[in-house]
Amino acid sequence: MRLAYYPGCVAQESGKELDMATRWVCRALGIELVAFPSFSCCGSGFVDEANEVLNVALNARNLAIAEKAGLDLLTICSTCQGMLTLANVRLADPKVKARVDAALGPLGIHYGGSTKVKHLLRVLTEDIGVEAIRAKVVRPLAGLKVGAFYGCHLLRPSDEMQWQTGEEPHAFEDLLTAVGADPVYYRGRVMCCGFPIQFVKPETASRIAGRQIEDAKAHGADAMATPCPLCHISLDAYQNQAAKAVGHRLDMPVFHLPQVVGLALGATPEELGLPRHLVPTDPAVAKIGRPVRA
Amino acid sequence: MFADEKLINVPFDVYRYDASRGGEPRYQHYELRLAPHTPILTGLLRIRDELDPTLSLRYSCRSAICGSCAMLVNSKSRLACHTPVGPEVREHGRIVVDPMRNQPILRDLVVDQQPFWSRYEKMEPHLILDPKHPMPEGRTTPMSPAQVERFKETPRCISCAACFSACPAVEADPAFPGPMALAKLYRFVVDPRDTAQTHRLRTIQTEGLWLCLRCHLCTEACPKDVRPSERIRDLKELAVQAQGGTEAGSRHAIGFLKNIEERGTLNELKLVRQTSGVTGLAASLPQGVRIWRKKPEVTKSPPPIEDLDQVKKIYAALKDEKAEES
Repeated sequence: MRLAYYPGCVAQESGKELDMATRWVCRALGIELVAFPSFSCCGSGFVDEANEVLNVALNARNLAIAEKAGLDLLTICSTCQGMLTLANVRLADPKVKARVDAALGPLGIHYGGSTKVKHLLRVLTEDIGVEAIRAKVVRPLAGLKVGAFYGCHLLRPSDEMQWQTGEEPHAFEDLLTAVGADPVYYRGRVMCCGFPIQFVKPETASRIAGRQIEDAKAHGADAMATPCPLCHISLDAYQNQAAKAVGHRLDMPVFHLPQVVGLALGATPEELGLPRHLVPTDPAVAKIGRPVRA
Repeated sequence: MFADEKLINVPFDVYRYDASRGGEPRYQHYELRLAPHTPILTGLLRIRDELDPTLSLRYSCRSAICGSCAMLVNSKSRLACHTPVGPEVREHGRIVVDPMRNQPILRDLVVDQQPFWSRYEKMEPHLILDPKHPMPEGRTTPMSPAQVERFKETPRCISCAACFSACPAVEADPAFPGPMALAKLYRFVVDPRDTAQTHRLRTIQTEGLWLCLRCHLCTEACPKDVRPSERIRDLKELAVQAQGGTEAGSRHAIGFLKNIEERGTLNELKLVRQTSGVTGLAASLPQGVRIWRKKPEVTKSPPPIEDLDQVKKIYAALKDEKAEES
């Protein structure tokens, strides 16, 4: 399958390892990624708070680029998924649509509303399918207990995201099972990572992140995995701050979604950018051993 | 009950605790035969009336109007009268009932709602009129349908506190007023009769508005579709457009806005500088260096996107002047 690849800002900057892992996994599964250097930032929820219509218009332009190429759009970030989906939802309001059309029309951009926004987690579990992925596993993540951490905007508001329930999803756990890992169910898996207020009130953001990591740990997780690079910043890059906030060490390796799949499909840690993490992933990788099938 | 509906076995595990006696909380197990559509509240009342008269819970109307019976149903904040047993048993095999979060537990499923109400009262949830131009006795102020449309959701609120219970910002920080309080505040900010908009927005910007995580757990929990997280979003947009970047939160939103206008993409380092200022940037330097060692891209400016002029023209057509000045 061919998809318009919308990596989002973070995966092209500090979260480059997510882009590396996504490309590796898509290559392994026969998903062709088409790049569009004219895509702009989704606004990350912040632009929406400053100017709602402008945010919808910027994302309508992104969606129009994919539509013109006749492709559905692949996201690899829960927030990008949320913001681009929200643009589709808000454009159903004729008043919003009229203002957006008036801004885009003079630029020769027309968005007809047909672009489907699909996060990688949805492509893997719905379009490729967990059985097809299971069949390609060469290194089952046997014995590794992994706590999925969804990221709010992939799920909620659930009536707008039109996917699984907003509080009890299961796609990520299904995928983890398919690659041989043991999914860990804990309350924090659908909670917030604290990232949106990292620059407003860092100590509160860290307390929130710390609580979710503690929760995963208390339920036996050896590692966490997230489909959102913003959650990854909170849970991995700022984990030392989260540990400070909760008053003890956390030592929790945090994978990006395609890294978990990539490991099972035989990629090396270097190919997936694992050495770029702030919290070492080696203890988790050591648990699963070498590929059993070449 | 519908005559042809089959009864199912419903295992309940109910939280039991009495703050006046202390001791350890425990879960008590009960089983009932119920039709799948039966509300959880009906099940709990049957437990109290037929099996265990010591079970304490708060309820009144049984019809999702009074807002008394919010509690945790398999970890989710829900109105017990508005949540049927069937889907919960199908999904979880049993129904675990706990008291709401973020409020002290008095006994069993009854919490002390003081934290919820005191934060609400701080919002001055009443019309503030101009003392120089009081509304004449017996007169009404006409409102256009468009004005009423702006706050059509909030009057549906029944103050059940399900949103307050579901909110991770409330859980982590006592400075956050909570979803319901902010949704109600929004209702007064856009009410054309209210004269305290500037005061309300300025106060709330320093008193917790920007601690909302926009996780939408409140909107998920709300039994009345008030959509508190979206009302908070509306409130933030009003604050930014009326008052510009006065707080870290509004500066961050405006910083994002400017980042995208300049390059079409995010410039991580520049954004931190815009939000936190030079002193804030200095304070976050040790953390920045830790991250930079593994991820050197954080200090590099990303190249602008192609067709950036299109983005700039969209801004020119739709941007808000006040936010741009600050």
